[in-house]
Amino acid sequence: MFKKILIANRGEIAVRILRACRELGIPTAAVYSEVDRASLHVRLANEAYPIGPAPSRESYLCIDKLMDVAKKAGCDALHPGYGFLAENPALPRACADAGITFIGPSADAMEAMGSKTAGKQLARRAEVPTVPGTSDPIENPEEAQSLARSMGYPILLKAIAGGGGKGMRVVPSDAEFASAWRDAASEALNAFGDSRVFLEKYLVGPRHIEIQIFADAHGRCVSLGERECSIQRRHQKVVEEAPSPVITPDLRRKMGEAAARLGRAGGYINAGTVEFLVDADLNFYFLEVNTRLQVEHPVTEQVTGLDLVKLQIAIAAGHRLPFAWESITPRGHAMEVRLYAEDPDNNFFPSPGKIISRHAPTGPGIRLDEGVYEGWTVPMDYDPLLSKLIAWGNSREETIARLRRALDEYTITGIRTNVSLFRRILTEPEFLRGEIHTKWLDELLARARPPAVPPRPGTEEAALIAAALWHSANSNGSASSSGEPQAAPSRWKMEGRLRQMDHRP
Amino acid sequence: MKFEIELSGPSGRKKHVVELTRKSESFDVTLDGHPVDADAVQVSPNTVSVLLGGQSFEIHLSRAIDGKIKLQCGPHEFSAELIDPRSWRGRKHGALEVEGRQEILAPMPGKVVRVLVAAGDAVEAGQGLLVVEAMKMQNEIRSPKKGKVERLLAKEGQNVNAGEVLAWVE
Repeated sequence: MFKKILIANRGEIAVRILRACRELGIPTAAVYSEVDRASLHVRLANEAYPIGPAPSRESYLCIDKLMDVAKKAGCDALHPGYGFLAENPALPRACADAGITFIGPSADAMEAMGSKTAGKQLARRAEVPTVPGTSDPIENPEEAQSLARSMGYPILLKAIAGGGGKGMRVVPSDAEFASAWRDAASEALNAFGDSRVFLEKYLVGPRHIEIQIFADAHGRCVSLGERECSIQRRHQKVVEEAPSPVITPDLRRKMGEAAARLGRAGGYINAGTVEFLVDADLNFYFLEVNTRLQVEHPVTEQVTGLDLVKLQIAIAAGHRLPFAWESITPRGHAMEVRLYAEDPDNNFFPSPGKIISRHAPTGPGIRLDEGVYEGWTVPMDYDPLLSKLIAWGNSREETIARLRRALDEYTITGIRTNVSLFRRILTEPEFLRGEIHTKWLDELLARARPPAVPPRPGTEEAALIAAALWHSANSNGSASSSGEPQAAPSRWKMEGRLRQMDHRP
Repeated sequence: MKFEIELSGPSGRKKHVVELTRKSESFDVTLDGHPVDADAVQVSPNTVSVLLGGQSFEIHLSRAIDGKIKLQCGPHEFSAELIDPRSWRGRKHGALEVEGRQEILAPMPGKVVRVLVAAGDAVEAGQGLLVVEAMKMQNEIRSPKKGKVERLLAKEGQNVNAGEVLAWVE
């Protein structure tokens, strides 16, 4: 096993990784930028080294600084986490050059599978279904139309040079084909100077379902089952669950086999995720591969009982996968929500700042993966992910009830969080029935918000009493007008002050 | 202790008067002049638990940039602006200055660690009289009024019980 692991990340994932290392008895070295000196991952690591100023380009993204720290600290392995350099093949290459084990796939496998186009080509070779269509342009509109008929409507016309929705048209039926073709081609010509268009099957209300794969260096690649990640806000996942409410054991096996086939074809080693779109008829189509640990890996951990980070470390150390594929069936249900420091009432604007108080939920079926603490200032320089709140239970219903209960217990003051978004999602009838797709949340947020549940009787009165008591305890003769509350005086002092005041006529 | 509070919340903005009167281990609370069956405990530096007619409320508080108090009760948020009674007194309610002989009581059981004045000393309102230590925290007991220390009953090193008379200020 490794002597010391460098954790080339920050925030909750750095904390997650170093917890796994601690359980394995492997010392850890953390890195931090100037604004992260007081961050939780620095406090919990065995060693921590500064790597420069706040901008990640000058700190967390500097491969040479990471290599310097790794050598100085005597690390023989590096875990990249997710984000930052996790999918940059230059990092595993630098590690290889320095004789340090990269906990993840090889640079070659990253390149073969990581990019959308390369991944799609590999998927075709491995006979993994991709969204039907042509990746080559079609010159002749008649030829294109007959192809569209054979594929079945609706179809999507896309500009070869496309981007940002320009030169893109959804064609609902054959009658609209000719005019849509003309529009798409002329729009593409105007936007990109290239009128060439190709076509693809248009998926109506697809789900995003991904398969967690694991491959060891001894030729085994297995699936650990799926995660349903259809709840997305502008392509950003915010709620993930396992198992998916629509996946049957048969489909799970088929998707798992397809994903593992892809991993084998790409010479993949370590943890990876194969993302699919799944249509209303439960056909699945390859989307892309994430060559790293996913943010939402805890839901798989909760339904499989495996620790994916420890498994990553073991595989990187050359161990064999310790289980048979047949033995991995999801048990119960798990769901994760991503709590961000952002203001749902103000267009999800980031809300960095000091966490004045924090009450973390606990109790049955609750797990909180986070990198924050009371009194810590959330820096404005990085991703606003604060915590991942994960619930699990015997059924989807019990899991949702636990998650709602935990969200009610979870309080952060000082900064805004998107907790209210989840309170809303977790009560929507469609969500409760599992009738979701990748555009569902954006559509929900575009609709008028349901009238807020009024506070129960007495809430205002209780707030008034609390304000009076808290104010008397917190004001030190002069009313505080600073942005931060004064250090709370002891209750003794407060009681004494109140008593003294009461003794006045 | 009387507070004038302007509360803004889901149902609008309104001014209220809250009066908290210390009563042994709890408070008597009146709201806009009416007594209410309420109990409030500060359970952590920024959290107050309120029992109101048996209904339990957990209120999380923080100070906003503008000096107002932000309150969170479950999904509901309020903002409160307070007029501090002590600042009333300073500005326009000078008549509220305490008069007559004042008993200085030990607020809690503890140990008198320092006596800062001697009998006969002239003191200002707010001036420290003695320091009581409890739970390793030292609390200065201050004079509620400008006047003279008439008698000093507490001695340094002495253990005192809650409510024990420490001094009189005339």
